[in-house]
Amino acid sequence: MKTITAYKCNKCGLVMYPYHDRCLNCKGRDFKEITPTSKGRLLTYTVIEQLPWGMDERGRVLGVVEFDNGVKALGLIKEDAPRIGMKVKVSWEPVREMGGEKIYGLTFEKTK
Amino acid sequence: MRPVVVAGVGMIPFERRDEDSLMDMLATAGLNAMDDAGIGDRPIGSVYVGNMASGLFNHQVSVASALVDRLSLLPAAADRVENGPASGGSAIKNGFLAVASGFNDVVLVVGGEKMREVIGPKATDIVACMTHPQVEYIYGVTLPAMAGMFARLYMEKYGITREHLSMVAVKNQANGLLNPYAHIQMKITMEGILEHPQAHINSPVVADPIHLYDCCPVSDGAAAVLLTTEEIANKLKKPLVMIDGVGQATDTHTLQERSDPTDLKAVTLASEQAFKMAGIKPKDIDVAELHDAFTILEIAESEHAGFFPKGEGAKALERGETQIGGKLPINPSGGLKARGHPVGATGVAQVVELVWQLRGEAGDRQVKNAANGFSLNFGGFGNNVLAFVLRRKS
Repeated sequence: MKTITAYKCNKCGLVMYPYHDRCLNCKGRDFKEITPTSKGRLLTYTVIEQLPWGMDERGRVLGVVEFDNGVKALGLIKEDAPRIGMKVKVSWEPVREMGGEKIYGLTFEKTK
Repeated sequence: MRPVVVAGVGMIPFERRDEDSLMDMLATAGLNAMDDAGIGDRPIGSVYVGNMASGLFNHQVSVASALVDRLSLLPAAADRVENGPASGGSAIKNGFLAVASGFNDVVLVVGGEKMREVIGPKATDIVACMTHPQVEYIYGVTLPAMAGMFARLYMEKYGITREHLSMVAVKNQANGLLNPYAHIQMKITMEGILEHPQAHINSPVVADPIHLYDCCPVSDGAAAVLLTTEEIANKLKKPLVMIDGVGQATDTHTLQERSDPTDLKAVTLASEQAFKMAGIKPKDIDVAELHDAFTILEIAESEHAGFFPKGEGAKALERGETQIGGKLPINPSGGLKARGHPVGATGVAQVVELVWQLRGEAGDRQVKNAANGFSLNFGGFGNNVLAFVLRRKS
């Protein structure tokens, strides 16, 4: 599955996403590229009723997930009644159209 | 560093100003500050313009060069300062440094934004451009959505309810009614925005748990300050208001990379720096202008800036301590909530309000005997924050 690339500092082990040129903790410059584990936990979320120009929908649920390997990322939640702490599994799907082109990103679904 | 005086302040009413261009607004606010100071034809060394997105909103860039031309301030140095919603605060910091360092004796700082030239959803999109393009923006995140994700955690952690958020809105819109420069001139009640069974029609969800009346409006407007030395200010007509403390700090671009996303570290650090420089403590402040782009932020900032311990800001609000007449009036101007938030103007408008308060010129919303003031300008979602401590020189 295609997914995001996160970065683990070779010196101190801090997991970062998105990319930084120097480690946010120890200023190290060498990173191992890692991908999020398939499952994670919802840290916070919101339901957006007023979306930006170009997005004709309501009730879009976005939230931040912490994956089992420490990667934290924002994504689209495919669940109408999310709750903090909910276990999710991750997919890579179109999340938006921009200029007629499908933009892929992280989507989260409730799991056990 | 030399002491820096705010010798003149000026604003235009924040509202939807279809009849004015961005440049009309910047020029009028700038002239108002120059005239307030009584600077006459004295030369002005530098002009700093706080503006976030004139290229996107108004199809015009290099607005500082255009402004010195409009105001016949040539050949003054001119720079536009862009720092998201903290552009105004950053412009003032630059002006402060120019005078404090001895580089200039007189500096004009103008902040302004004309946001209503585009439709609402387009404005939402332009403001969302400050989020991370690859890991946030593509999902359709908005600034209210960032506030929603923050509020959910903050409210749970500190036992803050929607009632508290609504109390901020009611207080600040009541203050706005006393401020002729405020965009929103409308009294609201707890019943109308929260308690009535149909309150959700008046105040629908924008980004849960953030409702319409938790958000600042989208406004056009400009504000300006004229900064100079004590020596020159003593020859002018206004009582002296000093910028005693300036602080600025940054935090991670995205909310999710903060080890504790409820901790607004940049607010704490910028405030501490400003207080340290001024040599006073939060308890010495008589009036504060905080960046309530969303109601939750007024509460969170009042704690992170050091006025109340964490979790106590909402209790102080409940007790009425942050109303005009309370122990620490917060946002007597109406704040961003009522005055409006023309992005680049806000940091300057906060300082303008403090100067009016410290001079005793704030009319019906005057905080009695205000001698020390504090303002906080919050950029991004807390990733770039400026704080100022002002003092009336006795």
